[in-house]
Amino acid sequence: MILVVAEHRDGKLNRATWEAVAAGQALAGGQAGSNLSILVLGANVRGIAAELSAAEAQGVITIDSVVLEPYTADGFTAALAQAIGELKPATVILPHTYQTRDFAPKLASRLDRALITDVTALKTTGGVTAFVRPMFQGKLTADVVPEGDTPHFVTVQVGSFRADAAARGAAPAPVRALAVAIDASAIRQKPEAPFQEARQAVDLSQAERIVAVGRGIKEQEKIPVAQQLADALGAELAASRPICDAGWLPMARQVGSSGQTVAPKLYLALGISGAIQHLVGMKGSQTIAAINKDPDAPIFEVADYGIVGDLFELVPALVDALKE
Amino acid sequence: MRYWALWALLIVAVGAFAMQIAARMRLIAAAPGRFSSNQSGARLQRFLFDVILQRRTIRERPIAGAAHALVFWGFAAFAGYTSIEFLYGLGLADVTASPWFHVYRLGLAPFAGAVLAGILYLLVRRAIVRPPGLGDHVSAESVVIALFITTLMITFLLGFRLDERTIAGRVNWWAHMLVVLAFMALIPASKHLHLVLSPMTVFLKSPELGRVRNLDFEKEEVGLEAVKDLEKKTVLDAFTCVECGRCQDNCPAWGAGKALNPKTLILQTREALLAGTRDRKLGELYTEEVLWQCTTCGACENQCPVGIEHLPMIIGARRGLVSNGEAPEYLGAMYNHLERRRNIWGLGYDQRQKFVTSAALETFDPARHDVLVWLGCAGAFEADFQKSLRSLFEILRAKNVRFGVLGKEQCTGDPAKRTGNEYMFQELANANIEELKKAGPKTILTSCPHCVKTIGEDYRRFGYEVEIVHSSVFVAGLMRDAPAAKHPAAASAGAVTFHDPCYLGRYAGKSDEPRELISMFGDEIREPVRNGDNPFCCGAGGGLLFADKEEEPGSRISDVRFTQLQATGAGTVVTACPFCTIMLKGAQASAPAGGGEGIQFVDLMTFVNGRLKKDAAAG
Repeated sequence: MILVVAEHRDGKLNRATWEAVAAGQALAGGQAGSNLSILVLGANVRGIAAELSAAEAQGVITIDSVVLEPYTADGFTAALAQAIGELKPATVILPHTYQTRDFAPKLASRLDRALITDVTALKTTGGVTAFVRPMFQGKLTADVVPEGDTPHFVTVQVGSFRADAAARGAAPAPVRALAVAIDASAIRQKPEAPFQEARQAVDLSQAERIVAVGRGIKEQEKIPVAQQLADALGAELAASRPICDAGWLPMARQVGSSGQTVAPKLYLALGISGAIQHLVGMKGSQTIAAINKDPDAPIFEVADYGIVGDLFELVPALVDALKE
Repeated sequence: MRYWALWALLIVAVGAFAMQIAARMRLIAAAPGRFSSNQSGARLQRFLFDVILQRRTIRERPIAGAAHALVFWGFAAFAGYTSIEFLYGLGLADVTASPWFHVYRLGLAPFAGAVLAGILYLLVRRAIVRPPGLGDHVSAESVVIALFITTLMITFLLGFRLDERTIAGRVNWWAHMLVVLAFMALIPASKHLHLVLSPMTVFLKSPELGRVRNLDFEKEEVGLEAVKDLEKKTVLDAFTCVECGRCQDNCPAWGAGKALNPKTLILQTREALLAGTRDRKLGELYTEEVLWQCTTCGACENQCPVGIEHLPMIIGARRGLVSNGEAPEYLGAMYNHLERRRNIWGLGYDQRQKFVTSAALETFDPARHDVLVWLGCAGAFEADFQKSLRSLFEILRAKNVRFGVLGKEQCTGDPAKRTGNEYMFQELANANIEELKKAGPKTILTSCPHCVKTIGEDYRRFGYEVEIVHSSVFVAGLMRDAPAAKHPAAASAGAVTFHDPCYLGRYAGKSDEPRELISMFGDEIREPVRNGDNPFCCGAGGGLLFADKEEEPGSRISDVRFTQLQATGAGTVVTACPFCTIMLKGAQASAPAGGGEGIQFVDLMTFVNGRLKKDAAAG
């Protein structure tokens, strides 16, 4: 049996759970209806369980206990160790979240079983499934086949499996409760209220496309030139430090070592020379395109596409082309 | 009667002096660490120049410094006289009638005049002119002591006119002796304790600027956390401080309107030590904000006339903060980069490889190469600085210097060392030393002054000794070797200014070579304020390259320096450090609309190579 462990907080299911379900279903190879269960731990988890029962699965199992709210590594380890003892799954799949990273190694070593972390794909050859995981900062990938007694623990990298690929069942999967005894006094962690980071007025890190302006824009009155392109592309507008220093755009739109670090699919740099402090903030972008008058501008060193030219001629032309 | 009275007064004064001194000595004795006195030749040389000849006192403030020197030399000359008068007054020995005493006394007269002139100048300056470095308030104690010294000299001179047997003569003699005793009792609790301590402090100051000893992880050292962790030399420094404010006047952070004032740090240390608040956290005493504002430019330490070392204390306190996870956010990101990618930018080393390949660099082999060129973080990743390195390579090739690079290079650890992440620093240092030892170069050449300091001085404490030369010095040497070099392009030259990097001009003491290279081609050098061995920092040092998130526009050191450079009116600013270039170009880009235009930043190597090409074309 394959057991997928759900993750949720404040009554909301973490969408990485659906990705883990998708991974579990892929591993079950069409047998999910008879071979895959989803486990939900926490207090008052009925709503979460109902949501997950839509999945194609043998069933959803809940462990409902006030001791499990809020999350603690000791509480989860104790509950999961008992549930696994009872359910005897062959593989336990968890989303590779911060919470999982906190307790999964402890759980695996408590049971003395293999743990394969940060898995990005499955590879089945000759009936043997290997778990693919990155090594050396992602420079290499390893195909790992677990050995030893089951269960084997597998955590899947967030975003590696598609949540929307998780198969839905014809009818809701049955939900049943599992009773486990957890000794509250054995829980050593005393969690405090979760830290809330000050919300950024503009969260550029989530943007898919960014149009960024630099000193080449010359004056504040010309900012709309870039804004039009951003609108046409459905992109966020960002800037290098001098633009925000001058107050032409708010500080919240600054990209670079002194601003936000971004990794959009498309980063379009207009009139940005590409000082290294700026580059370190956007080097993770998938595709970088640059327009700059200076052919020696360092931005062209990192750009995938570059145009040496006047942005005031090129940008309106681009906007027109996009409108067509 | 006179004997007994003087004996009684002397015992009181000496007792008061000794008790106060002993309290301070106990604090020094209780402090951890040890004094070091290695390189005694260099230390004696500094003692000669800075104590006897008053170099550092005079250099920066010639008039006040000269006035001080007069007082100092006068005091030294008077030591024998005062002793003789006391021996006489106490009834121990009387040589006052001997002819040579007469000659000595006559010889002192001009000294008395000099001291008088000096102290009156200083009194006027301190009480009436009041330069900002001396603080907001007129120090009453300083005024009293100046009046004491004045009285001493006047009573001495009156001694020539008044017969000692008359009442007036008696009063005059007693006045002199009483002032000497009162002065003695006042010294320990005042800044005049520097009279006693500064010769020692100057001698004990490390001959190497900004020397911060390694932490010993075997002994579980974590850096300085509380007042009780401050080391012996720091405690001695606190009691030696003469509050002259040279450190404050030269501090770029203070100059840019930030909270850090190196003089305040020393006075806070003294106050905390005397108050006995041994457990007070340094992050509270100095405040964390202040501790993270230091660029480690070394100006405070280098300008201090009494041998105070600020950097071991500031960096030591930073270590304490880093060890407790209290480093600012931007440093966390940089430490991650250093840990994972082994460079400050967090970029992949494939980029360095690309550069090495495109510049056709060979891997260093001592059999085939004369020097090893150390690229550094900036050389490996920063496009602008890579241009400068390409220029250096062209010069080296033209001069038939055979050079190679390391296959594997990591950040030297400079930003980790200066920000107090000692663990990261030692990890990087050890890794680099291992590679360097394998490669076995005799001479390393680099264009990064920070790498010069870190490899040349910090790595020595791991037992790795190598000659490391900055490109400006190396290339100046190459040009000198060229017999009667002709520079036909000289006529077309313009006005340029040179920004001395702190780690080159101040730390390495190399400010002539870059100028030699610039003026060789006929360019006129327009000096900015703060140049040579006392430059004004660009703001990047001490890990602050990444700190500008914390910096409000208007208090950036780089902006202040940019304005200073702009004021020279030169169209070209030559720099010789990748970080200076990054900061100053940043300041230029951020200058209010139009304010930064018309200035071209050029790295020294690109400048020299450009001029050489011009020569070739013209010749």
